Amino acid sequence: MIDIQPTMDDSQVMDFVSRGSVVLEGVVSDEFSRQCETLPGGRIAEFACTPGFREEVLLHPEVAGVARSLLGRNFFIPITAHHHLYEEAHPGQTWHSDGLSEYGYGVNHLQCYYYPQDVTLEDGPTMVLPGSHHRLVDREAIAHYGDILGQASLTVPAGTVVLTHYGIWHKAGPKLNAKRRGMIKFSYFRNSSPKRDWLIESEEIPPYANRERHPYVTEVESYRDLARRQRTWNWLCGVDTTPDVSHGAKLFINARPLSEIVKK
Amino acid sequence: METTVKGWLDESRKKLQAGNFTEADLQRLEVLLTKPRQMVLYLYSKSTSMRSAIASWALYDPTVSYKPTLPSQDAPYDSVIEAVNDGWRIVQFPRAELYQFSDVDNAYLGYEFILEKSTLDL
Repeated sequence: MIDIQPTMDDSQVMDFVSRGSVVLEGVVSDEFSRQCETLPGGRIAEFACTPGFREEVLLHPEVAGVARSLLGRNFFIPITAHHHLYEEAHPGQTWHSDGLSEYGYGVNHLQCYYYPQDVTLEDGPTMVLPGSHHRLVDREAIAHYGDILGQASLTVPAGTVVLTHYGIWHKAGPKLNAKRRGMIKFSYFRNSSPKRDWLIESEEIPPYANRERHPYVTEVESYRDLARRQRTWNWLCGVDTTPDVSHGAKLFINARPLSEIVKK
Repeated sequence: METTVKGWLDESRKKLQAGNFTEADLQRLEVLLTKPRQMVLYLYSKSTSMRSAIASWALYDPTVSYKPTLPSQDAPYDSVIEAVNDGWRIVQFPRAELYQFSDVDNAYLGYEFILEKSTLDL
């Protein structure tokens, strides 16, 4: 069986609980990223199952290490992916979350963005709203939102992989040029009960150490955020009995457990 | 419209006599002769108070073509009251009873003020 080691410690997991994303800049080799230069847009299930994509991206020790940290042992490896390809200027997408947002306290589904080329602000970078994964919304009912304090444009070097909580609000940002901007989207899923089996220094579970308040958050929402972060932390550590209600993940599992994946 | 154009004529005659009639006055006439359009501004305040800080904003201007513009972190106004002072009229106030209060569950951005202005107000 392929052995994937967790890479995150308590503090990094707490950061993820607050922000809803982890950015791994330039981790995929330039050589492999160049192979994606001619990839067509749309669903790329066959490409997602090639040994190259599996080894260079899906099972990359740093990328899969984050998935292993947040999703536990024998997590699901995707067998499909979608290439979001933009080659013309456009005003950008509207803010949305995908699917049913997967509201809940748990972390069961990581949606990932892989950028085979550098992305600058003019190239239409993906935008995410840190902390928005804690909000239950109808995806069409946030489409009129414009700029939001604290929004983040993912301007990244080639080979970057961003792992996000599925429910995070995101959109393709406005694109001012006709330069090719691709992003390969894929998902890892949980396949085991949560427990604190990432990198730890002692068996004693530390209490959640609260993180910064996101700039768009109101006073009362900052307290709600703290409550939600504490519950998610406890849930991830396997000590919270709060039932998780994130049913949405079950809609889209196109993946196989790590134990069934053969590298070559 | 007839009244506003008559007002413009009165004002312009005075400007002509004073010798300070400019291209800007013609641009103003062009606006007056164009059918007025409603512009809509969403401002998300950090409380129901019109003096609270702004968390998010979106301007919908039907007179401007829909083209890519870079994202911004500079709100057009510091507060709703500042926008009102600049001529925006409020057409929707956030109603407190619509905001469900619970200890942990966040949802949409609040508190949503919707304002409008006519192109004639520019």
